[in-house]
Amino acid sequence: MELLTVKNLTFTYPNCKKSAVNNLSCSVNSGDFTVLCGATGSGKSTFLRLLKREISPNGEESGEIFIENTPISEIPSERIGFVTQHPDEQIVTDKVYSELAFGLENSGLEQNVIARRVAEMASYFGIEDWYDRDVSTLSGGQKQLLNLASVMISDPDILILDEPTSQLDPIATSDFLATLKKLSRDFSLTVIIAEHRLEELIPMCDRLMVMENGILIENGDPAEITAKLDRGSKLLLSMPTSVRLYHMLGEKGVCPLTVKDGRGFIESNYKNRLRALDEKEYAHGDKKALEFKNVYFRYERNLPDILKGLSFSVYENEVFCILGGNGSGKTTSLSCAAGLRKIYSGEIKVFGKKLKDYPAQTLYTNCLTLLPQDVQSVFLRNTVREELEDSKTDINTLPFDLSQLLDKHPYDISGGEQQLVALAKVLSTEPRLILMDEPTKGLDAHKKQILLEVIKNLKASGISVLIVTHDVEFASLCADRCALFFRGDIVSVGTPREFFSKNKFYTTAASRMSKGYFDYAVTVEDIAELCALNGKKSEEKQL
Amino acid sequence: MRSFENYNPIVVALYFLLTSSIIMFSQNPILLLTAFVGAVSYFLIRNRENTLKTHLFFFIIFIILTLINPLTSHNGRTVLFFINDSPITLEATVFGAVSAGIIVTVLYLFKIFSSIMTRDRLLYVFGKLSPKVALILSMGIRYIALFKERTRKIVDSQRALGLYKDDNLLDKIKCDLRVFSILITWALENGIITANSMEARGYGKQRRTHYSLFKFRSADIIILSVTLLCSAVTLTFIFLSKLDFVFYPTIKLDDLNLFSISAYISYGILSLLPTFNEIGEKLKWSYLQSKI
Repeated sequence: MELLTVKNLTFTYPNCKKSAVNNLSCSVNSGDFTVLCGATGSGKSTFLRLLKREISPNGEESGEIFIENTPISEIPSERIGFVTQHPDEQIVTDKVYSELAFGLENSGLEQNVIARRVAEMASYFGIEDWYDRDVSTLSGGQKQLLNLASVMISDPDILILDEPTSQLDPIATSDFLATLKKLSRDFSLTVIIAEHRLEELIPMCDRLMVMENGILIENGDPAEITAKLDRGSKLLLSMPTSVRLYHMLGEKGVCPLTVKDGRGFIESNYKNRLRALDEKEYAHGDKKALEFKNVYFRYERNLPDILKGLSFSVYENEVFCILGGNGSGKTTSLSCAAGLRKIYSGEIKVFGKKLKDYPAQTLYTNCLTLLPQDVQSVFLRNTVREELEDSKTDINTLPFDLSQLLDKHPYDISGGEQQLVALAKVLSTEPRLILMDEPTKGLDAHKKQILLEVIKNLKASGISVLIVTHDVEFASLCADRCALFFRGDIVSVGTPREFFSKNKFYTTAASRMSKGYFDYAVTVEDIAELCALNGKKSEEKQL
Repeated sequence: MRSFENYNPIVVALYFLLTSSIIMFSQNPILLLTAFVGAVSYFLIRNRENTLKTHLFFFIIFIILTLINPLTSHNGRTVLFFINDSPITLEATVFGAVSAGIIVTVLYLFKIFSSIMTRDRLLYVFGKLSPKVALILSMGIRYIALFKERTRKIVDSQRALGLYKDDNLLDKIKCDLRVFSILITWALENGIITANSMEARGYGKQRRTHYSLFKFRSADIIILSVTLLCSAVTLTFIFLSKLDFVFYPTIKLDDLNLFSISAYISYGILSLLPTFNEIGEKLKWSYLQSKI
């Protein structure tokens, strides 16, 4: 049954010539799980916000939106639930239970009704254990789950999510999406979700919509749409590994969407006589840029150790990636390396000199710098221009282009652009070692590509880079060596090929897809190259 | 039976309000003594360990406050001795001791009160008065936590960038000002998202209610009625001047009569209520435990 109908929707922001949403018509059936994708700035967010009257942007609007033949302006607010990408700012109150009850309190319900609904929700979402905690003590994933629960408590017909997992790590993302899938399956809830990390979403959705420059260019079955994507399109970068492989090999026919399908696709179509690509031996220099030796750290005397005898070295001119779960102490180790936290035992050396032997501030000039996880915290001024003047950065010497952004407020530009501006500021101190904390958080696939280029350029100019990340795909592309961080210490180190092919679970989708058929293939490019070298099975039969 | 702190916060708040205000009104040493015994015994039940410092601190306050009065006021007939030709009188000393006793007892009650009244209990009390006030308080508390976290992040980032020198005062002031200004921008920016989120969840459409974890049970009603009844009896006799205690010119306590005895008993029950409750609960628990 048709639940949502949009007819000729056009929307233009004030003082803009181009419309953000252009003549968009679509309909969504009740119970559909719809994924809306498109590059940053394609009008996804604007479209979703137009579906929720209370938070619709101001501007010129034409066209009609109906829910079950009722114009959307007459629909009570609780029938449409909306979750945004900001886990923190969406939360209104200080306690988990009061946040859950917020929507019901607004409807003026009685205490016992609220108590029942809140208890029901808390049990369904598994938040009983942290029911009376302060929201400030929750992890990002828990916060976003709370946001979802406190929207669902009003029992909406349609749930709209605008990049809900962009600030979450991969494990929290999987949990969140699994909960979402469960909701849509258990209650035949209609879900519309905009995302740019599609690896897990595409296989679970019923319908895929693609927007480009405000126009809805595709709308239909995910397998069909992914099969006819353009080979050079930016959107392809954010598609699941199997879809990218399909396009890289220039295949025709049914497009595989999951790792399992992808594996079947490779096995049935390509030979594996040649199992591994030649690998260049990786050799690092013998000068160490950063050395941790038996480092112990805890935040307070009575709290448990966060770093437990951590030892590792980053060599000069090396890109070193540390991977690992949330709360394993990765970020803390960066803060310690940057001298922001004091270790209580062990030794940290930067370019062969002990951290405490650097007199005040000399550590941060021409030596070491930290790009924090929350890049917004780098900005203090009102325009990007002022920011760059502050740090005496010449934009012509930067390895990327910022000229479009100079007069904008650093808070108004997109996450990827913020990352680049922050990087420009960080580079102004002419560091020889850069510490990056989750640089790919909230970036779309295209921006990741740019960041990858930037890091390669940095390495080429002789800078050492230490990256802490959850993003295994990114690490497999940019690192010289990777390390797995677990409970305050590093448990394994190796080049990406050896590291990811030895890992069974904590590894890239490409590695999972090719394991046992090809060896040491950890990126899509690796698989595509191996497939091309091995040739097709069908050709053999014809001969 | 529940532990006293787990009764409905309104009952608990009312209890502390009444107990402490009665001794402040009356200046009667017998009432004061019962209140003191009640407060200290309950305090000891709640805090088993590390209370020595608190007691010592309160004792010093008591001694100082007791001594100040006879040194500055020389009223009263019974002269104990002279300091620099000024008489130190028994009456002024007793008055000082009673006043100091009131302050120390109220301090004990406050210390217990603040450890019982956690944030959600306070919010519950305010929520009963006005759901709006409760929401504003709750949002305020949340924002303070966000603000602190944010400030720490920004200061750390700026330090690691090394653009502002720690050892240069001018730089430091400049940096602090900018950090403050960006914090305001950030708060406004995020305020919009929060406001959107509130509106999206139907805020401001209807009269709000307030949800909390606390309920009004029958045990709450019992404690509440005991509290109200005992306070009413005591207060009535205080205002009827049946419990007057005269310090000057000579100390004089009215003879015991039916009125004053019933007032003393009522206030005794009131001030020892938490202690009795805890002891009763402990006995019941050990009995129940013996059955396991």
